[in-house]
Amino acid sequence: MATTLAPAPAPAPAPASTRRRKTRDRHHRGMSRWLVLTLITLAALVMLVPFVFMLLNAFKSPADYSNGGPLSWPSEFYTKGLSTYWTTVNFPLKFWNSFLIAGSVAVLGVAVSVLNAYALGIGRVRGRLWIVGLFLLANMLPQEALIYPLYYISKQIGLYNTQLSVIIIFTVIQSAFGTYLLSSVLGTFPRSVLEAAALDGAGKWTVLRRVVFPNLRPTLIVLLIFFFIWTWNEFLIPLVMLIDNSTQTIPVALASLQGDRLMDAPTTNAGALISLVPAILFFIIFQRTFSRGITAGAEK
Amino acid sequence: MGRFRKLGVAVVLAAIAGTTLAACGGDGGGGSEGSDAKVLKLWHYESDNSAMGIAWDKAIEIFKTEHPGVEVQFERKAFEQIQQNAGMILNSTEGPDIMEYNKGNATAGLLSSQGLLTDLTAETEKRGWDKKLSPSLQTTARYSDKGVMGDGNWYGIPNYGEYVMVYYNKDLFDKNGVAVPTTYDEFTKAMDTFVAKGITPLAEAGAEYPAGQLFYQLALAKADRSFVDNYQLYKNPVDFKADPLKAGAQAFADYVAKGYVAKDSASLKAEDMGTAFISGKVPMIVSGSWWYGRFKDEMKANWDSFLFPGNKLNAGSSGNLWVVPTSSKAKSLAYDFIDITMRPEIQALIGNNGGVPVAADASQITDPKNKKLIENFNTVSQQDGLAFYPDWPVPGYYDVLVSGFQSLINGSKTPDQVLDAIAKPYSDGVKEITGK
Amino acid sequence: MALTEIEPAKPRRKRRGGGAGYWLYLLPGAVLFILVIGAPLAGTLYLSLTKWSGVGDPTFIGFDNYTRLFQDEVFWTSFKNTLAMIVAMVVVPTLLGLLLAAVLFDVIARRFKPRTAAALRAAFYLPQVLPVVVAGIVWGWILRPDGAFNSLLDSIGLGALRHDWLGDPHTALPSVMAVMIWVQIGYPIVVFMAALQRVDPELYEAAEVDGANWWHRFRSITLAQIRPETFVVALTCTIAALKVFGPVFALTRGGPENATNVPSYFAYFTFFKKLQVGYGSAISTVLTLIIVVVAAVFIWLQYRSERQDREV
Repeated sequence: MATTLAPAPAPAPAPASTRRRKTRDRHHRGMSRWLVLTLITLAALVMLVPFVFMLLNAFKSPADYSNGGPLSWPSEFYTKGLSTYWTTVNFPLKFWNSFLIAGSVAVLGVAVSVLNAYALGIGRVRGRLWIVGLFLLANMLPQEALIYPLYYISKQIGLYNTQLSVIIIFTVIQSAFGTYLLSSVLGTFPRSVLEAAALDGAGKWTVLRRVVFPNLRPTLIVLLIFFFIWTWNEFLIPLVMLIDNSTQTIPVALASLQGDRLMDAPTTNAGALISLVPAILFFIIFQRTFSRGITAGAEK
Repeated sequence: MGRFRKLGVAVVLAAIAGTTLAACGGDGGGGSEGSDAKVLKLWHYESDNSAMGIAWDKAIEIFKTEHPGVEVQFERKAFEQIQQNAGMILNSTEGPDIMEYNKGNATAGLLSSQGLLTDLTAETEKRGWDKKLSPSLQTTARYSDKGVMGDGNWYGIPNYGEYVMVYYNKDLFDKNGVAVPTTYDEFTKAMDTFVAKGITPLAEAGAEYPAGQLFYQLALAKADRSFVDNYQLYKNPVDFKADPLKAGAQAFADYVAKGYVAKDSASLKAEDMGTAFISGKVPMIVSGSWWYGRFKDEMKANWDSFLFPGNKLNAGSSGNLWVVPTSSKAKSLAYDFIDITMRPEIQALIGNNGGVPVAADASQITDPKNKKLIENFNTVSQQDGLAFYPDWPVPGYYDVLVSGFQSLINGSKTPDQVLDAIAKPYSDGVKEITGK
Repeated sequence: MALTEIEPAKPRRKRRGGGAGYWLYLLPGAVLFILVIGAPLAGTLYLSLTKWSGVGDPTFIGFDNYTRLFQDEVFWTSFKNTLAMIVAMVVVPTLLGLLLAAVLFDVIARRFKPRTAAALRAAFYLPQVLPVVVAGIVWGWILRPDGAFNSLLDSIGLGALRHDWLGDPHTALPSVMAVMIWVQIGYPIVVFMAALQRVDPELYEAAEVDGANWWHRFRSITLAQIRPETFVVALTCTIAALKVFGPVFALTRGGPENATNVPSYFAYFTFFKKLQVGYGSAISTVLTLIIVVVAAVFIWLQYRSERQDREV
C-alpha cells in the first residue's frame, strides 16, 4: 500500500537506445501519439468553452448584452463594468477578506490535519478507524443542516458577524478531509525511521517536526491549495455569518449584483473573472510544485 | 520552507487580530428612542442607478444636512442575504437601525409577528404617512398579530409602487401594421397578427416569476376584489377548480397552444425575457414596472407601455418597505429618515428616474413616458386595482408556481393537473398560517 | 490510503495502548470538532423534532416531520435524482479521470513535454475553480433554447436536434449531469496524476521491453498501483454527489417539475424559502444518515480489498 500523493522522482524516459523496438512499431507509435495529443487537446478546449463565453461577456456593455445577447461579439471593449464592480463592492477589501479567510483556513486546516493524523497514523491511538470516521463526518454533513445551530452557537459566544467564526468552521470542515488523507499516508510511514529517531532520544514533538513534517511537505502543499480553493468559493456559510459589508468575501459580493427581479450579467461576468484570478494563480503555483517532482526524504 | 511557515503564521495572526478587532466593534446602546444616537445604520438592496437607489442617496444627503453630527453608515446589501437571513440578523445585535425589506406575509409579516419589527402606528399617524398612502398601498404596510397583511398595526412604510403592465415595441408594431390594443379582443387579435407573420408576440420566462404573473393577470381578468381578499388575505377558502383561477390556467394554456408564448421558454429566466424584448426579438412582454429604467437605458427601438387590456385588477402592490428593527438603537433618527423619503422632492426624484412614487406632485414629473407610467399606476391604485402577486400567500409558493407553469409551457400537464398541483401547497400553507 | 494500516490486521501484543501520549495531539481537532460539528449536529437532531419558522421559539412535535417526510413525493424524487448525480459526479469522472490522467502522464508527458501535460491538466482543472453561481449563468447561455449549443447543432446540420435542454423534464437531468461531469473531472485528474508520480517508472520500462502495449500496461500497472487514490476519489466524490447543491441551485432550481431536484436543494428550499426549519432539519438528518451509511460501506469495501491484496 503505497502512500497517496507521496513524493517520487519524476519519471525519466529511458534513452531510446536501450529499447529494442521495431521500426514499424515506432512509426505506428509516432502516429498514434499525435492522434492522442489531438484528441486530448480537443477535449481540453471543449472544457474551456464556457470560459470563452465569460471573457466575451465580461467586456460588454449592458446595453450591448441586452441587444445582442450573450453570444454576440461586443461592439466595443467595455471596461466600465469591471471598474464599477471594483469600486461599488470595494473589491480590494473583499479580496483581502477572502484571502484572509481562505489563507487562514488553509494554514489552520493543514495544521489541525497534521496533528490529528500524527496521533492517528503514527501514534495509532485506540479506535482510530472510528475516530477517522467521526472526523470525516464534518465532510459529510450538508451545510444547510448546520446553519441554524452554528448561527445560534456563534451568537452565544460572540463570534457572529466575525470572520473568525467562518475561519473556525471551515478549518474543521476542511481538516476532516486532510485528517482522512494524512492518517492513511502516515499509516504506512516506515517504522524503522521512527524507531531510529526514538533511539536518538527525540520526543514526540521533535519527531513530528523533524521527521514526519518534512516527509509530508509535498502532500501538505497539495492540501493547502485544495483547502484554499475550496474555501475561496464557499458561499452559503459566509452569507449567513458575515453581515457587514466590511467583513464579506468575494462570492457574497458577486451575489449582490443579483437583485430581487433584475440582474447584471456583464458585470457579474467581469466580477467573476477578476475573482477567478487569485484562485488560478494559486493553482499555477501548485502545478509547479507538482511538476518539479519534489524529492523530500525523511531527515535521518 | 522556513519562509512558507512564517507566512502561514503571519496570515493566521493577522486573521485573529483582524477578526477580534471586528468583534469588539460594537457600540453601547442608545436611549429608548435613540434620539441622541450619533450613528444611523441604514441598509437597502437597490442598485445605485435605479430610481430608488438615486432617490434614497439624495434622502441620505438631506438627512445628513438636517442631522449634523450624526454619521450615516449606509451599506448596500445582497438581496439574497436579506431575504435568507433577515430573521437571524434582526435577532442579533448586529442588525441595522433601519432597512429596506420585502413586503408580504412570509417576510415583513413573519418578522413582525415574532416581535422583530417596531410598531410604527403611532409614528405614522403623528407624521401623516397614512394620508399619503392609498388603501391598497396600506395593505402591505399593516400586519395582524399573526403576521397577515391587510389590517392591524403598521410595521413598514412603502414609498414607491409597482405594477404589471404590457410593454410593447412601437417599431415592431408599426412595421407589422398593428395598432395599440385597447380591449382584450384587440390584444389577442394583435397577437394573432404577429403569430401569422411568424413572430412570437410575447416573450416569457418559465424558470422565474414572469409565467406565474401572466397566469395571475389572466385570472384577474375574471376576478373581483373578494377573490383577491380570499386568495391573498385568507378571508374564505379558494377553489382552484373554479374561475377565476381555472380561467387563468386555461387561458395560459391557450396562449401556449396558439403560439403567443413560445413552447421552449420553460427554462428561460426573467433576464432572458427582458433581453429578448430589448433586442427587438419580440414585440411585447407582460411584466412589471421594475424593468422600466432598464428599458429606458438600453433600448434602441421606440417602446412604450399600456395597462393589461380589460383588467380592472392587476398584479402589483406597494414597493418594498422601510422597516425599523426592534433592536434599532436610533429609532427616532430612523423615523426622521422615513419622513424624508416621503417628501415631494424625493418622490419626484423617484418619478423622474423611472420609478413609481406614491406621493409625488404630478407637475414635477417632466418626461412624458415617466408621466404615463405614474398615471397608469395611479389609475390602478385609485380604482383599488392592485391585486398583489400570485406567489405571496404562502412561503415557498414561488417555486410551486414556477414548476406548475413550466409544465403548462412544456405541455406535460393539462391546466386541470396544474391547478391540482398548485392547490395543495396553497391550502397546506394557509393552514400553517391561520391554523384553519 | 491504506486503512488497513490504521486498523491493525491482527491484534498486537506490543505497544498496546502505546498511543497514550498522542491523545494530546487530537485535542485541538477534537475541541473544534465538538464546537463546529458535534453541537450543531445535536442541534439539528433536536430541531428535526420541532416545528419552527427560524425566528421565535420552536414547538416540539415529536416524529411528525419524519412521518411527513416519508410520505413526501418530492423527497423520494430528489433521492432518485441523486443516483443520476452519482453517475455524473462519481462514476464517469473517476473512470474518465483515470484514463485521462494515465494518457497525460504516460503518453503526453513522456512523449511530448511535461509542460504540455501540465497545461492540459490545468485546462481540465479550471472548472473546479469557478464559483458555481457564475458557472450556472454561463451554462444557462449555452443550453438555453437560443443558446450556443443549439446554434452549434444548427451549424453542423443537426438542427433537428435543437432542444430546450434545461426546460424539458426529459432532458433537464441529463443536461445537469453533463455540466456536473464538466465541473468534476478536474479533481480526479489532479489526484491521479499526483499518484502516478509514485509509480516506479521501471515497472513501465520493463513491461514495455516485454512488448506489452499501452492498454495492457494501463490495466495491469496503472490501475493496480493507484487503487488507493481511486478509493479516496470515489468516496469524496460520492459524498459530494449526495450533498450536491450549488450547481442545481444555479442551473435549474430543481426544476422543471422537480426533474432535477436533489435532497440538499430540497432541504435548502424548505429551510429558507418555505421557512420550515424543523422539516428542513429532518430532511438534512435523513440525508446525513444516508451519507454516513454509504461512506461506511465504502470504507469497508476498501478495507476488504486491501486485505485481499495482502493475502494474495
